[in-house]
Amino acid sequence: MLPTVLSLLGRRLIAAIPILLLVSALLFCVLRVLPVDPAAMSLPPSATIAEIEAQRREMGLDRPLALQYLIWLQRALHGEFGRSIHYRRDAGALVAETLPATLELALTAMAIAGTLGLCGGLFLFRLRGTPFETLGDLSSMLLLSIPEFLWGLILLFLFGVVLPLLPFTGRLSPSFMRPNITGFLLLDTVLVWRPDMFWDAITHMALPAIALGLAFSPMIMRVLRSSLFDVYAEDFIAQARLRGISEMRILLAHALKNAALPTLTLAGVQFGFLFGGTLLVEIIYSYPGLGNLMVDAVRNADLPIIQTAGLAYCVAVLLINTAVDGLYLVLNPKLRVR
Amino acid sequence: MSPAVSATLRSGRVVIGLGLVLFLGMCALLAPLIAPHDPAEQNLLSILLPPAWAPDGNQAFPFGTDSLGRCVLSRLIYGARTAMIVAIVASLGAMLLGSILGHVCGYFGGIVDWIVGRAVDVWMSFPPVILSLVLMVGLGTGLDKVIMAIILVDWTRFCRVLRSEVLVVTQRDYVTAARLLGFTHWQTITREILPATLPLLITLLSLEMAVAVVVEAILSFVGLGVRADEAAWGQMIADARQYIYQSPWNLLFPMFAIIIAVSAFNLLGDGLRRAFDVRLAQLAR
Repeated sequence: MLPTVLSLLGRRLIAAIPILLLVSALLFCVLRVLPVDPAAMSLPPSATIAEIEAQRREMGLDRPLALQYLIWLQRALHGEFGRSIHYRRDAGALVAETLPATLELALTAMAIAGTLGLCGGLFLFRLRGTPFETLGDLSSMLLLSIPEFLWGLILLFLFGVVLPLLPFTGRLSPSFMRPNITGFLLLDTVLVWRPDMFWDAITHMALPAIALGLAFSPMIMRVLRSSLFDVYAEDFIAQARLRGISEMRILLAHALKNAALPTLTLAGVQFGFLFGGTLLVEIIYSYPGLGNLMVDAVRNADLPIIQTAGLAYCVAVLLINTAVDGLYLVLNPKLRVR
Repeated sequence: MSPAVSATLRSGRVVIGLGLVLFLGMCALLAPLIAPHDPAEQNLLSILLPPAWAPDGNQAFPFGTDSLGRCVLSRLIYGARTAMIVAIVASLGAMLLGSILGHVCGYFGGIVDWIVGRAVDVWMSFPPVILSLVLMVGLGTGLDKVIMAIILVDWTRFCRVLRSEVLVVTQRDYVTAARLLGFTHWQTITREILPATLPLLITLLSLEMAVAVVVEAILSFVGLGVRADEAAWGQMIADARQYIYQSPWNLLFPMFAIIIAVSAFNLLGDGLRRAFDVRLAQLAR
């Protein structure tokens, strides 16, 4: 089975290369139509027009767009994404510093969304045929209508302002010195063995991760429920009942396995959206990740960062989709052809 | 009224969803008549007033005032105008672009299908929030730019789903029969295929309106949506966030408004999906 999975992953990664090229070209073109002049912005305001012109030539801004893109691409392949206009630092390094924080948040949130989605889906399915079925359906619809940034604000309001239980800014209390080994704070605090700091990081992570998890779980719930309905219409469920297997065991051991596959496909797509949703939650909780970097860059018209951060989001989504496809193959025996 | 339409209207979800949508639509349409104040009028002597029913509320401002002393109720009503315009125009635009491409791809296949398919791949590799943000950077702020960005981001939702539906419908015998009778491609698509994909299209349109309301709120919240002189719910939330301790009401009202609008469109979409009996598991947002 391993070779099948590896070859699928290899094919997916090769297919991702042209997509990434197109994505980067798209980003490049969209950002070049902006009415800002990167050359003028990278110089002090006292620069003369001749100096700006010289800077434009040096930055290659006087050449055709396609050529500019090829120059950018060549540099990007060597790991140079340009200097941030605002921070005066390498854009690639800035993105690499903030990406782990966002990944950590997204993975925690996905674990929460998956758990809530699984429990909620099973619960909604158990309500079938009872008077509460419609109520359950309508409540999941209401949950579906609350986007992640509203959850962020609701939780901030409830647990930060009304009942000040949890911290709601940053990743760590200012009294701690942040260890920097992998950039993943939860992992780092375990590596340096500081349980108090680990706990502090968890409390900071709680509100943003729960907000994201709550926003993305209703869709998983609803798809799991409708997949379970489909599975229950099949003969092998009736067969299992005739064999005298308990309802609980039919649901958990027979039906859930089969209903898990369509749900997994959806969860993969949802994870891509969730990864974009971290941006809003990061702004609300001043969480120092890719999203805050991106929004700062947007406000300062910091093109190299917008471009690099946008690309980082796309790479992450493509990797997530590939991983989900691999997992799908591992879990679905029908696809394991020799 | 045809039996199909009256049966659809009898579904509880459709009635409630449509009722709420019509209510918001009336607020949007009649905003200048029903709003007690000009949404931009500042009363710097009475800032951050609580709602009228609170102990020191003022009857002139039913839902209180914001940090510049503007009437919250009036801003909510004008915000509904922004939200409804975006929901309707942007969704119709995304539907037109996406469904035309979807029908062409599903029906003809070939090179156009391949190119559009790759474009969809590229679009799908962007989280929608990021793509709309990047587009707004390129387009600049304003109501028309928000609408443009939503159309450019969300056409793929329609395109993907309709393409696979058209693929199925094209295989049906009556489509072959129409071709044998001498229907042109245009006639076959508009007279035989479109009626079969229409229920799906209408359901998707309703769900897309919910998405458009959220995207508009998100963009205005980040400060990249409508211009500062236009009232929008996302903008009200962003303003109120700074005064969350002094005046939580200012934060809660626009949040309720967004939740009501989004659940109205979702409820309507779900009701239509049930009434038309369309399968939508694949499309989950």
